[in-house]
Amino acid sequence: MKIGLILLSFLLSGVGSAQNCTNCRMNQNLLPQVPEPPLELIKIEKATYEVNTKASFCKRPVEMIDTIVIHHSETPNTDTAQKINEYHLSRGTPEDPWYMVAYSFIINSPYSGSNTPTPVVTEGRPLEIVGAHAGAGIYAPMNQAQKKMFDEGKVTCGKENEEFVVNPKMVKDDSIYANVTTIGIVVVGNYAPFSKENPNGYSILFPRNPTKGTQDLIARTSCQLQKKYPNMKSIKWHDYYRPTTCPGSIKKYISKIISLARNYGCEFN
Amino acid sequence: MRIQLIFSLLLFSFVALAVDDKSMNDLFNKYNSLMDQKKIELVDEVFTQKFIKESGGKKELIIKINQLPVVKENKKVAPEINWRKGLKGEIYFAKVKYTSQDKTKKTSQESEFMILKEDGKLKINGTISDDN
Repeated sequence: MKIGLILLSFLLSGVGSAQNCTNCRMNQNLLPQVPEPPLELIKIEKATYEVNTKASFCKRPVEMIDTIVIHHSETPNTDTAQKINEYHLSRGTPEDPWYMVAYSFIINSPYSGSNTPTPVVTEGRPLEIVGAHAGAGIYAPMNQAQKKMFDEGKVTCGKENEEFVVNPKMVKDDSIYANVTTIGIVVVGNYAPFSKENPNGYSILFPRNPTKGTQDLIARTSCQLQKKYPNMKSIKWHDYYRPTTCPGSIKKYISKIISLARNYGCEFN
Repeated sequence: MRIQLIFSLLLFSFVALAVDDKSMNDLFNKYNSLMDQKKIELVDEVFTQKFIKESGGKKELIIKINQLPVVKENKKVAPEINWRKGLKGEIYFAKVKYTSQDKTKKTSQESEFMILKEDGKLKINGTISDDN
């Protein structure tokens, strides 16, 4: 009798699990696919920076960011991330100083024919803090999701240990300060020709282009970011936002960088 | 008497070392003369030794200057200079706006020069491309 009951319950559980399994398969088809875990394409060095606690800065949800903007520093390519931070702590006015390094990532990479500096990508300003790189007063279009986040008061500005508030000047029609929806990646060095306006530049007889290694560092960094933050779908350059020689010859290689990123499984426009 | 002398010396050194519009304009007048290939000998007076070294040396820098196209006198426009002392350390930033006087198109370009004091004199230590 007991054996009969055990057999019966076993059979019933088998039917139940078969039904569940059918439901599971159906659900699997209906549910969105679980995103792949972030793939580490490149080791990004962490750094601790001195900040100006008297400076005001803005916070945002990382989901606001849809664009990566490429820059060159115009300074010697041996400058470190800390050196760039030092420059930026000197920038601004006593009333409106800069908070810290303005870029979110700093790429050091040698020029063609050289093996220094050692290629390295270093974290700069945290992604949650709005950068200072695209240009003050430059606006970029907002999509519905970005507009919603702004309307919900998720982008706020203030100083450390003070109240953070929404700055309505950030938004004009359906656009927002470009710095809010972008991050800056800087390639340390000067990729523009020597001129009166650019005395750090390369000789016109020896044009300087980003090496394959440099292009690859930009592509891997961008792709790694997209894998973690899928909203980052676009790669642009400084000159896209306002007339400037930045990022020099790197601008010509943006489409190449986008195709390199595709090899790592990322799609940028 | 001694106090007066010390005070005068302090005042003199302050005036001599102070950075003002005139000293900044003087630097950029020299810079223009150098880059326009009029006074190549000003290299050491215009640029810091660090900058010269990073440019591949004095000879290399002069070669680059001599390769620049010569701009006709009547097309030259005095650049607009806006400078301020950096907030940290003894560094100055000068935003210089160059306007081209081409008849077909009038364009302007801004550069941000970094200026340091070397041997008590203002000298250019390069430019920086950043924005806010």
